[in-house]
Amino acid sequence: MQPGGQATYIFPFLAGTVGLDADSVFDIDDFQYMLYRPLYWFGTGVNPYLNPQVSLADTPVYHGHQVTIRLKSTNKWSNGEPVDADDVVFWMNMMAAMKDGVYYSTTGLPSDVTNVKAASKYVVTMDITSPKFSESWFTNNELSEITPMPMAWDRTASGPSNCVANVSDCTAVYDYLNSQATNVSTYGSSPLWGVVDGPWKTQSLNSQGKLVLKYNKSYSGPTTPGHITTFIEIPFTSEQAEYNVLQDPTGSQTIDVGYLPTVDAPVPPAGANVGSNPSSLSDYKLNVNYAWQLSYMPYNFRNDTGQAPIFDQLYFRQAFQSLVDQEGVISGPLHGYGKPTIGPVSDYPVTKYLSPQIANQGDQWTLSISRAETLLRDNGWSVNPNGTDTCIHAGTGAGECGAKIAAGTPLKFNLIYATGIDWMESAVRELSSNASLAGIQLSLTAESFGDVVGSAFGCDPGVSGSNCKWQLALWGSWTYQPDYLPTGDTLFQGGAPNNAGDYDTTQNNTLIQDTLDARTPAQFDKSMYTWQNYLAGQLPVVYQPDNATLVETINGLDIGPQNSAFTITPEDWHYLK
Amino acid sequence: MTAFLARRALQAIAVVLLVTLIVFGLTWVGPAGAAAQVLGTGAHQEFLGAYLGWLGQVLQGNLGRSARLNESVGSLLAASLPRTLVLTGLSTLIALIVAIPVGLLQAVRRSSATDHVLRGITFLFYGMPPFVLGSVLVLFFAVDKHFFGAEGPQAPGIIGVVTDVRDLTLPVATLTLVTIAIFARYMRSSALDSLAQEYVEAARARGAGQRRVVLQHVLRNSLVPVVTLLGLSFPQIVGGALVVESLFNIQGMGWQIWQAAQNHDFAVTLGFTLVIAVAAAVGSLLADVAYAILDPRVRDVQA
Repeated sequence: MQPGGQATYIFPFLAGTVGLDADSVFDIDDFQYMLYRPLYWFGTGVNPYLNPQVSLADTPVYHGHQVTIRLKSTNKWSNGEPVDADDVVFWMNMMAAMKDGVYYSTTGLPSDVTNVKAASKYVVTMDITSPKFSESWFTNNELSEITPMPMAWDRTASGPSNCVANVSDCTAVYDYLNSQATNVSTYGSSPLWGVVDGPWKTQSLNSQGKLVLKYNKSYSGPTTPGHITTFIEIPFTSEQAEYNVLQDPTGSQTIDVGYLPTVDAPVPPAGANVGSNPSSLSDYKLNVNYAWQLSYMPYNFRNDTGQAPIFDQLYFRQAFQSLVDQEGVISGPLHGYGKPTIGPVSDYPVTKYLSPQIANQGDQWTLSISRAETLLRDNGWSVNPNGTDTCIHAGTGAGECGAKIAAGTPLKFNLIYATGIDWMESAVRELSSNASLAGIQLSLTAESFGDVVGSAFGCDPGVSGSNCKWQLALWGSWTYQPDYLPTGDTLFQGGAPNNAGDYDTTQNNTLIQDTLDARTPAQFDKSMYTWQNYLAGQLPVVYQPDNATLVETINGLDIGPQNSAFTITPEDWHYLK
Repeated sequence: MTAFLARRALQAIAVVLLVTLIVFGLTWVGPAGAAAQVLGTGAHQEFLGAYLGWLGQVLQGNLGRSARLNESVGSLLAASLPRTLVLTGLSTLIALIVAIPVGLLQAVRRSSATDHVLRGITFLFYGMPPFVLGSVLVLFFAVDKHFFGAEGPQAPGIIGVVTDVRDLTLPVATLTLVTIAIFARYMRSSALDSLAQEYVEAARARGAGQRRVVLQHVLRNSLVPVVTLLGLSFPQIVGGALVVESLFNIQGMGWQIWQAAQNHDFAVTLGFTLVIAVAAAVGSLLADVAYAILDPRVRDVQA
């Protein structure tokens, strides 16, 4: 496992995090999805595309506002029952009952559908209530959240229940399942959790996070000849601890697949995606994976420190982006294992969602301190390298600082960043140094990841006690899962819950809405490109380099291409003879 | 002596209660949800009622649940405490066995070549971060020579940890070397003070040999500040163990409390802090007892 990550919670219900932080991305990718398959599987090669072969259902069919989901009749639970329409309705009903889960929103499932029903044993239909909707968006960002649940789970401590038919029964069922999920030591023996439709069953999970999985012999999905039969996940306390174990093949606990700290990777030759291994890892092969994510640092457009109007100015955002040395960070602390972020849609892996225009033009705002100085000087600022720039021409006309920026306003900002990731800390220090050269003073504050995220998503000027003092915040990346489509409604639309800095402009909102309303895939692609072509140049956030994950696999173990959603699939791994 | 012990025990209990009050108070005024996480459904009580309620739960052995790890704090303690106890206990014991004679030898041979060499070595380990020292040991003894394991024991329980000598050696050695340096420097300083005392001169005047003077008069009196340091150093040793635990993949007390603090896992933070506070108070109490045994004047004056 990656340092700090471990399996903690087995119940694969995304709304199941009421008062519990344990249901993490590690649980979804490295535990739950291995036992309980989502209705639709995303990950085709390295791309985050719907994979019809692995999915439990055929690609959804849309007739007007009705969507039809046809489950494959070949899929079985390990107790012999079929994975059928009732299992999907069971999930939908529980979602309707548990409205305070983290993935529930008033605009998402199940609020945006009605008349959910099992039309036949293997067919589910539901009516989409939105007057306009994108089929691509609904499949990739709504239906993607569903994980069918077996009828064996439709019960409480006192016996069978009927959540599948009555939403009112679901809260009690959820409470029972959640309470059972708090007994970690019983995961391997529980008759509830032993009913799986995925390729793995839990043998044990101890309080230190060591997870042992056994291959589910009754798995009915696609199988790989010669696949492994036991899969053990070992937690690590630090990157260095995992690297030490990788380097010691005689240790009492050896690992066949592990993570290499970027700082320990030799820099690859120019133009090469993969370089050599450290000499101490000659028994291993180095694999380079990029997650389906976007790396950025939001400006806080709602900060109450008086500096927010500066962020509203496009010239300032252009100047500030010019101080970010993405290539320098990639070649420096990332040891060559990174890609620059060039717009609001991740450009690696290169997907069909990325605007060809943006892909062709690449990074338009490479490091240039002189460009930053010129932009500031041309817009009313006195530029004082290694000092502090101040606004000397207040006003809204040409050559003036902009609305609500008073004369004498200094370019001084606070920046909170997450500790514990070496390359990111180096990147922040380098940005601060570059900014200082252009007369912008950054006050850096290192905080835990949880604190930074808590602050960044905790600013709401309308709420008493809300902390809106932060101006720039860096914690890492946004991973597109289980909403796989990089539409702007998640991160960039005004009022979106994950729009940390609350970038909010009419034109951007309209263009995002166009993507959500685009009915056909062709219309969707066109509107996605139009939106990106506009927003990329608006620099709504500070684009940061995207780091790769370096995975070491012992020689002779073939793990194939890992999908960028990072859901691991050891059922596809096999040892070469 | 009994009154002395009773008074010290009451003081220890008061210290532990004060620590719990402070830590609980911090969760109360901390980020939203902290108190609720610790208290469960009782988050809307008044502070004192909530504190007493939590204390009552603690006295019944219920330290709450980790929201992050989906485990009871008790089970996390049961898993991590043996590792830290073995790691810190063994390293402290070995450190004392080595540091006391080293410090004594340095004092007796003050300003000699032996003193200078030993002082240089102890300074080296005193100033070396455990992370660097541990990494060097791993690279040489585990990665290069394969003499010992690169990570700490992973077996559950004290027996499993203690019997895994191959994996236990390097983390214990790392913590021991750092701790030796601390104790040896205190021992040297303390022994130098003792050597300058009149009773040492008197013993020598009475014809006592060097061996008898050092072992019978200097050693016993020099141990008093070292014992005091030992009693109070448990939290520091746990803190130092955090780095070693992180490097050697040991989910011990230090690492768990650090993770809990980083991730706002307040029940774990509170529960583990309580255990460390109790350990520190008990350590201090034992140090006082040892102090009284070593120096009868203490109990006579304070009784």
